[in-house]
Amino acid sequence: MTKEPLLDIRDFSLVFDTFDGTYHAIDRVNLSLQPGEALGLVGETGCGKSVLTRAAFGLVPTPPARITGGSVKLAGRELLGLSDRELRQVRGRQVAMIFQDPMTYLNPVFRIGTQLIDAIRAQSGGRIKRVEAKAIALDMLEKVQLPNPERQLAAYPHELSGGMRQRVLIAMALAAKPRLLIADEPTTALDVTIQAQILDLMAGLVDEMGLTMIMISHDLGVVAQVCSRVAVMYAGKVVEDAPIAQIFDAPAHPYTQGLLAALPHPFRRQDRLASIPGTLPDLLHPPSGCLFAARCAQAAPACGVPVPMRPVGEAHRVACTLYDDERKKEPAHV
Amino acid sequence: MSDPAMLAIRDLDVHFPLVNGQLVRAVEKLSLTLRAGETVGLVGESGSGKTTVGKTALRLVRATAGQIEIDGMDVIGASNRDLKKLRQKAQIIFQDPHSSLNPRMTIRRAVSEGLILNTSLRGKALRDRVAETLDAMGLSAQFHDRYPHELSGGQKQRVCIARALVLEPDLLVLDEPTSALDVSVQAQILGILKDLRATRPALTQLFISHNLAVVRFLCERVAVMYLGRIVEEGPVEQVFDDPCHPYTRALLSAVPVPEARARPDRMRLTGDIPSPTNVPKGCSFHTRCPIAEKGLCDTTPPPLRRTGEARMALCHFAEPMLETPAT
Repeated sequence: MTKEPLLDIRDFSLVFDTFDGTYHAIDRVNLSLQPGEALGLVGETGCGKSVLTRAAFGLVPTPPARITGGSVKLAGRELLGLSDRELRQVRGRQVAMIFQDPMTYLNPVFRIGTQLIDAIRAQSGGRIKRVEAKAIALDMLEKVQLPNPERQLAAYPHELSGGMRQRVLIAMALAAKPRLLIADEPTTALDVTIQAQILDLMAGLVDEMGLTMIMISHDLGVVAQVCSRVAVMYAGKVVEDAPIAQIFDAPAHPYTQGLLAALPHPFRRQDRLASIPGTLPDLLHPPSGCLFAARCAQAAPACGVPVPMRPVGEAHRVACTLYDDERKKEPAHV
Repeated sequence: MSDPAMLAIRDLDVHFPLVNGQLVRAVEKLSLTLRAGETVGLVGESGSGKTTVGKTALRLVRATAGQIEIDGMDVIGASNRDLKKLRQKAQIIFQDPHSSLNPRMTIRRAVSEGLILNTSLRGKALRDRVAETLDAMGLSAQFHDRYPHELSGGQKQRVCIARALVLEPDLLVLDEPTSALDVSVQAQILGILKDLRATRPALTQLFISHNLAVVRFLCERVAVMYLGRIVEEGPVEQVFDDPCHPYTRALLSAVPVPEARARPDRMRLTGDIPSPTNVPKGCSFHTRCPIAEKGLCDTTPPPLRRTGEARMALCHFAEPMLETPAT
């Protein structure tokens, strides 16, 4: 942990100005990522996982969004406050992203080859010639194990299956050798056997190419296939950040415990699944303390004031008062 | 097998002609029987035909050939009058609860409608019955006069379940009822559905899903579909713990398990599911099958083999004791 982090997000807060008031989408989030690390960012709908990673790289328009504080450093360089032009240099070259629905991110009227070559040339600022770009494109399609890469260059997006399209987008994203890949629910739109292929590919890229990655997912099972560390988000906050084994074997936050207890397991007999009672807090008027307290069976008066992250183990941090020295005296049933 | 069949599907074909003259063979020679009170999972990837089976069973889609009976009543040739009776007996719940509810009806109204159309219940008796059903789904009186947009996804899905159950159906078809929901909400809906097995023991459920973990949790029996056919069928625990068909093995091995340690016995399929307009000859799975044999699987359709007590698999190599994958 002595190395300089590749990505360092500190006290990042973001609100949306709406007609109903100020919506506190992200509240003082801290997240850092070492080079070569694959982090899973997990949470349910509306927890802010996609907004966080997009806003950090200038992809959420102002208005309605407004960054109200914090800093985002990529390899030591502050990104907040950069001009649009400077941010465009960062995106694509240093940070690449892939998204849930690969069809939406490919232009239906251009051939795969044209789109790949254009992207590769744009990433280089036009310094790479078309012929070279085509060679890179072919090389990348081979790296992502797309069958018959030469033939696929001449294909249109609709001629490819969902899994093949996602491979093309991964190739496009990685062609400029970015330092960081953000994968936002990359397999959610795919069938389970195709999902397994793409997850294998991504795990391989992390292991072999030393890719640094944030994988956003609502599915802890998916994250477990690729990532070594997990950050769990709830209502715009990171509530737990731990090595993957810790998350499954010793989840510390009651929300993480609730998520795991709610998951059906394909190879285990379960008579009941625990659901989490209640609903998300109203982020137009967020409570001042722990945002999960209203749904938490172990909430205490101490949860009424802001609850910062605290260490509970080796590289394991959690935002919960259960691990305060004062509350530790009473037996916490976990 | 002494229980009467609630839903009996025999040799069902559902084909959709395309404008270019091709034929989508969505369902091919499919037979499936659900005994009264049973919960059966129908699993498969997109394009496998599982949704078409569910819709055809309720005649929301017309069968091309074959027979379907619900509680002994013919579905395919039913007259309009019979169909009305059938629809009372058999209800369906869809994936997206939002698009299944009329945005201009309060949920009380939405749940009442089936009763008004199908029964003579009116006035207080009707209101009481609706309120009782909504309450049983955990939707208290404060919700009854709300509109769908005022409810969360999980609440809306509970309204859809209430609307289906208020007619006291014998058969419930559930088409991916939790796929649009977050896991904590999914757990709640699955709990409600599992409780139905205790509170309404006679209710038969056909649960269509691509999510194998959910099927394992909820169902007693499972049928696995690939390209319009059932390739394996049996009690859920036996099929999941010891699959006979290579496709079932691959499907189970692809499920992302919420555990930190990857399983060593992974089996990966290459390529994509072929188009149902151009189903491979012989065994339709041979193009992706790791154990396919040339000259057999690519030419001869496999027989349906009994692989155990109440278990069947559609594979040339399915034996009662097929070698299990390396552990």
